[in-house]
Amino acid sequence: MKTYYKEDLKTSFIFLLPVFILTLFFIFIPVITTFINSLFRDIIFLNKRFVLFQNYFYLLSDSGFWQSLKFTIIFIIISVPLEIFLGIIFTLVLNYEIPYKGFIRVCVLLPWAIPAAISARLWELIYNYSYGLTNFILLKIRIINEPVNWLETGFSAFVALVIADVWKTTPFVAIILLAGLQAIPKEIYYQAVIDRANFLQRFFKITLPLLKPAIIIALLFRTIDAIRIFDLIYVLTKGGPGGTTTSLSLYAYKYYITGDFGYASSISVILFIISFIASIIYLKLGKFRQEVL
Amino acid sequence: MKEEKLIKILFFIATLFVLSFCLIPFLYMLIISFCKSWDIFSLKEIEFTFSNYIKILKDPSLHCLDYIKNSLIISGISAIFSVFVATLGAYAISRLDFPFKFSILLFILASSMFPQISVIGFLFKLMKILNFINTYQALILPYISWSIPISLWIMVSYFSKIPKDLDKSALVDGCSWFQAFLKIILPLTKPGLVSAGLLSFLFSFNEFLFALILTIDYHARTVPVGIAMFQGLHGELPWGSIMAFTALSLLPVIIIVTLFQKHIMQGLTRGAIKE
Repeated sequence: MKTYYKEDLKTSFIFLLPVFILTLFFIFIPVITTFINSLFRDIIFLNKRFVLFQNYFYLLSDSGFWQSLKFTIIFIIISVPLEIFLGIIFTLVLNYEIPYKGFIRVCVLLPWAIPAAISARLWELIYNYSYGLTNFILLKIRIINEPVNWLETGFSAFVALVIADVWKTTPFVAIILLAGLQAIPKEIYYQAVIDRANFLQRFFKITLPLLKPAIIIALLFRTIDAIRIFDLIYVLTKGGPGGTTTSLSLYAYKYYITGDFGYASSISVILFIISFIASIIYLKLGKFRQEVL
Repeated sequence: MKEEKLIKILFFIATLFVLSFCLIPFLYMLIISFCKSWDIFSLKEIEFTFSNYIKILKDPSLHCLDYIKNSLIISGISAIFSVFVATLGAYAISRLDFPFKFSILLFILASSMFPQISVIGFLFKLMKILNFINTYQALILPYISWSIPISLWIMVSYFSKIPKDLDKSALVDGCSWFQAFLKIILPLTKPGLVSAGLLSFLFSFNEFLFALILTIDYHARTVPVGIAMFQGLHGELPWGSIMAFTALSLLPVIIIVTLFQKHIMQGLTRGAIKE
């Protein structure tokens, strides 16, 4: 049985109290309340009524819910691997000894550092039917013969969202991978050069395998973040056309603003459970051990 | 030797690709914001002008400067408090002995991964009861709380790198825990404080959903929501003004990233990877 000093317990409690109070009131209690609310019929101006799992039964037969679940999953499956792939290229560039290294790092950080809602506006202009850069370039090099209405058809809107998301989050992946890359001892590469391993061999036999832990971290981080995607879609496509690009967060949001708190809560709970499972996998794979303390 | 040359060319191309991929949207934003007409298909019309910037600065009904002011104040206050609170907590976690220490740390870390949508029902009702809707407090309180996990994690990783004997000897010399913390440990963790502060600031500056739900107009509305809601008078979007507003409000972010690139990258990796 471990013993603790009373003085230590008291001091640590005081030091941690603000953290506890804030996270409790603005993160944990709200989440618990959402769980409880999902068991109620809680519509604004109507009497609150306990309905047990009725909201969840509705979800099962709600095609809008399934559509947004499907969209969210496909969006993650397409965009996250793309971000990892590009992220690896970015990392190699960032790690390479070139002039103006600091400038390149700043440029790469910028898309990540700006608000997603603002990046959505930038891309909205780029995709614009009459003034957009995409149509301008594609017309000039004659890939298309007339302007495309990017955000008006389901498939092109999906592609547009994926590209905008890849632009915004690849830098983050690159930074995570860079830390992993720099942890690889240089001696291994010297030895490989002496052994006449060429560039591709060095990349596939040394870099990639040793980068694997960092790649897994980046993959999970991005997945957890992509599950709750909201800002980009809210501004760029508003979930349209016809709800085809509505993510789970946006679907729940639409019920919140119409005042149906109970049903919105049940969607949020499903979303919460999905991302909770993903974060538990992350915490397990991330090998967070007590030794770090 | 031949291979080395090939690699150099490859990296040069890759660098160009990375740079243009990252910068093109920003360059396009700048071009449109300085153009009289944003109809780039008829190239003959392109004409340099400041009128878009003058319009968003001069027209009080657009409230562009209000949004930027709100964003800076809200994010600044949130960042300072978040780092302060997280530093106290991180010090206790790295220096003192108490039960369930590691579980508490993991639990708080996990909370930063929760979807924001799963708390807005409660937050909206709470802020309504407190009469905080459309005030700075309505955003500052959740922003502090939601940026605590990242700040806490960064600070713990910095504190745990400082030898424990250092503050032990201070305690032996008769300092209290608080004095040891303030005089010896805190000055050694300045880079950590900067990283945590910057990441909290950027989190609050970029946050969208809470601001969308908890603010109504220019009294508290922040930049992301302001830009997302920017509408023309007659339905057609005034892209020149929007891009001028965007460029102006991105200025603080661009300055921060340029000046503190190293701190930000360090903070991000400390928050994500433990070696």
